[in-house]
Amino acid sequence: MATANEIQEFVTLCVPLTGFAEYDLHGTGMAGLYLDTARRQVGALPFQAFLTAWKQAVAQHKGPGALTPVNREVARAVTYLWYTGAWPRIAPAAHAELRRQMANTEFVASPEAYAEGLVWRAFGAHPAGAKPPGFGTWSMKPAPLPGVEEIRSAIGVAEGTYRTAVSEELSIADLPPYLLPGRAPARDCAPSAVPRAGDAQEPHTAGSQQNGDEQNGGTTA
Amino acid sequence: MTTTTDGHNADRRRYDVIIVGAGWAGSLLADRLGRQGWDVLMLEAGNGGTETWPGYLDSLDTFYSAVAKVPNAAYRGNAAAPSPDVLDLGSDANGWFGNGYFVQNGRLPYSTDYVRARGGAGMHWLGAMPRMHPDDFRTRSQYGYGLDWPLTAPELEPYWALAERLMGVAGDAEEQRGLGVIGDPYYRYPMHEIPPSYIDEYLRTRLDGRKIEDEVAGEEFPLHVTKLPQARNSTPDRTYDHGEGYRPQGAVGLPNYGERCVGNSSCVPICPVQAKSSPLRLQAGLADSVTLVTRCVVTRVLTGRDNYVRGVEYRAYGDPATPVSEPYTAEADMVVLAAHAIENAKLLLASGLANRSDQVGRHLMDHPTVLAWALSAAGDGPIGPFRGPGHTSGLECFRFGDARRKRAPFRIEIGNWGWGWATGAPMSNVAAALGLGGAKDGSVLGLGTFGPELRALVGSVVGRQLQLQIAVEQPANPRNRVTIDPQRHRDAMGNPRPILTYDLDDHTKDGAFAARKVAQRIFAQLGAEDHSDYSAHDGVLPVGHFTHTVHGQTLDLVFHGAGHGAGTHVMGKDPTKSVVDPWQRTHDHPNLYAVGCGSMPSLGTSNPTVTMAALALRSAEQIHRDLVALHRPVTAGTRQGEQVNR
Repeated sequence: MATANEIQEFVTLCVPLTGFAEYDLHGTGMAGLYLDTARRQVGALPFQAFLTAWKQAVAQHKGPGALTPVNREVARAVTYLWYTGAWPRIAPAAHAELRRQMANTEFVASPEAYAEGLVWRAFGAHPAGAKPPGFGTWSMKPAPLPGVEEIRSAIGVAEGTYRTAVSEELSIADLPPYLLPGRAPARDCAPSAVPRAGDAQEPHTAGSQQNGDEQNGGTTA
Repeated sequence: MTTTTDGHNADRRRYDVIIVGAGWAGSLLADRLGRQGWDVLMLEAGNGGTETWPGYLDSLDTFYSAVAKVPNAAYRGNAAAPSPDVLDLGSDANGWFGNGYFVQNGRLPYSTDYVRARGGAGMHWLGAMPRMHPDDFRTRSQYGYGLDWPLTAPELEPYWALAERLMGVAGDAEEQRGLGVIGDPYYRYPMHEIPPSYIDEYLRTRLDGRKIEDEVAGEEFPLHVTKLPQARNSTPDRTYDHGEGYRPQGAVGLPNYGERCVGNSSCVPICPVQAKSSPLRLQAGLADSVTLVTRCVVTRVLTGRDNYVRGVEYRAYGDPATPVSEPYTAEADMVVLAAHAIENAKLLLASGLANRSDQVGRHLMDHPTVLAWALSAAGDGPIGPFRGPGHTSGLECFRFGDARRKRAPFRIEIGNWGWGWATGAPMSNVAAALGLGGAKDGSVLGLGTFGPELRALVGSVVGRQLQLQIAVEQPANPRNRVTIDPQRHRDAMGNPRPILTYDLDDHTKDGAFAARKVAQRIFAQLGAEDHSDYSAHDGVLPVGHFTHTVHGQTLDLVFHGAGHGAGTHVMGKDPTKSVVDPWQRTHDHPNLYAVGCGSMPSLGTSNPTVTMAALALRSAEQIHRDLVALHRPVTAGTRQGEQVNR
């Protein structure tokens, strides 16, 4: 079990990963469970190494691009856990390098964790099946969502870039397809295993391998 | 209060009626027959537990804990009475394959599920209650495809109304009358309509009155966003029933708790507050003469003298995880199979009954469903997906008219739950935006977003998700069928597994093709960016993929199951061409009924539950008359009434 100090440090370090304020992260009531889950999944020593590396990156106003590939994948898994309440399937290379003995499959950390997922808040909704907003609320016009700058200033991470390899600001109107999920090949496909809508043309990023997969996806003839 | 007991206590007793299955059809029958004082035994193959509040909350936790939030996600697996699951299907470079309960040997997968548990598929259903159109009952004579019914819409109208009362429907009768599906000029639903979603409104303001071309039909159709009648608690209509009003039913297992739909947005698989109607409600109010038994798998219908049946053989089990079970028998004057279209066919085949026509198991149908998904224009801001019931409105114009000669008709559901069905959103959006899971070679990706960029990106792309779920009519085809092979394919308890042979015919595929093209035009009209994808990736085709050519143009298409299994003990007047008569009584056995969607000769483009319920209520009247006749001194005359018992 994580101590209160460890949980506090974990939450502080998760603010720049998730884009949610410390208050929001504590408010889920899940911080201790997530820290324990991540430690168990990654291994205590490798997870401590990740936290140390990430702490250093944050202190130097660097983003996750400064992390090694394995630590970057751990950062993604931890963020996914905060957003969905589930530990994801991670990149097989990271799974192998961490020498994990458990299956590399997605699982929900706890029933309560599902309902505390941050993803629902990110688009202004409630978790499906919990925290219902009341009769007829689905007819109301959704409130506008905060932009990147608003989020940055609200959570106090004004410096640094949190795009790991995209150099310029993302255009919401013209998103690269690799940032969107594609069609699930079957219903028995965990959300973290759903293929991306398009393959990323990886620029030469430190620590990442070039992948020469051809572009596919998109609509059919 | 009805008696709930175990299989041992029901053994060797004699009942007036045995009902196999405690889903919607069985529960409606038990409700009616119990009220008339008949001794009824309901045998449910699956587990109970959801009738208590802690048991229901446990199902909710099961849903929360499930990685894939599919229709069976709230209901645990059961080796003694296995259920088919949409998770059973997959695909690889060799094509699609099925694991699990069904054995599939058709050209295309039957990707529809059901739940063998107390309440049946009435636990995970959405609650959609649209009636069928009068034309849907005569597609053969009017449009040259499928099978005609031996019944008409006006004959079913009073039973639809009764079903809507007993199940508790909220809807806009005026709008449904405009579609031609309600004949009674004064009819009102028990409750005012469930409010349409913001997405419905977004589409209505941009689509209503516009015409959309369907090149397969060679016609333009005027669009009108129409609200869906739903078995979901809303505001009661005080003018209902000549001013008597309507009192909605609350939750089962928690006294004095019940409310209108509060927008949990998880109707499928489970409504946390039970605002969505389920068979548990009827079961809670059954007469004392009804005994409900769970964990009793009926293995055979027992034959008696002449063509009569005398009861059933069933196996009771204690632990759903193990196949250990004890055999028992129960006898009755009437046996009613209400176990789902596929289970009814399986049981008739295993018993060697009611199949003089060789039609048992044939005409397996569903609503093949084409998904189309898009992002609404960024400038319009978020449209509010994942809020409210799964779908609250649809586009109905492609359901009716002479276009049905050229292609199967279809109903466009306007989805309220974003890209959830198609892509696993919103969770999969988080994974994709993070760059989680690695490249195809397994290496860790460099690309991806975190922090403020991640939150803004996910907010924007999930907030604009639009999905159309287009249910296409599939006509009865004797080659689509359920068979059994007890020597080769058995479940853990030793009962035969259903073997399914399934395909789509060209008329249906023409409808799916038209549906896809229409969806593209609707997205273009909305200024939305179409993200639908039906093609192969890395040489692997998705489950449900087919290609189809119309007017020289070939499209990749993908269909999903709608959970609307039907047709397997088809109704007709001719005993050589059908299994049950218009009362759902088997032609071959005067005291054996097979009820449910299996009796339906066609489905139209309506979710079939309300029509299945109407048929069950109509059968309840005939079963009552049959029982009265059996118990009457032989000298008394008979008089057949057509009154609906309310």
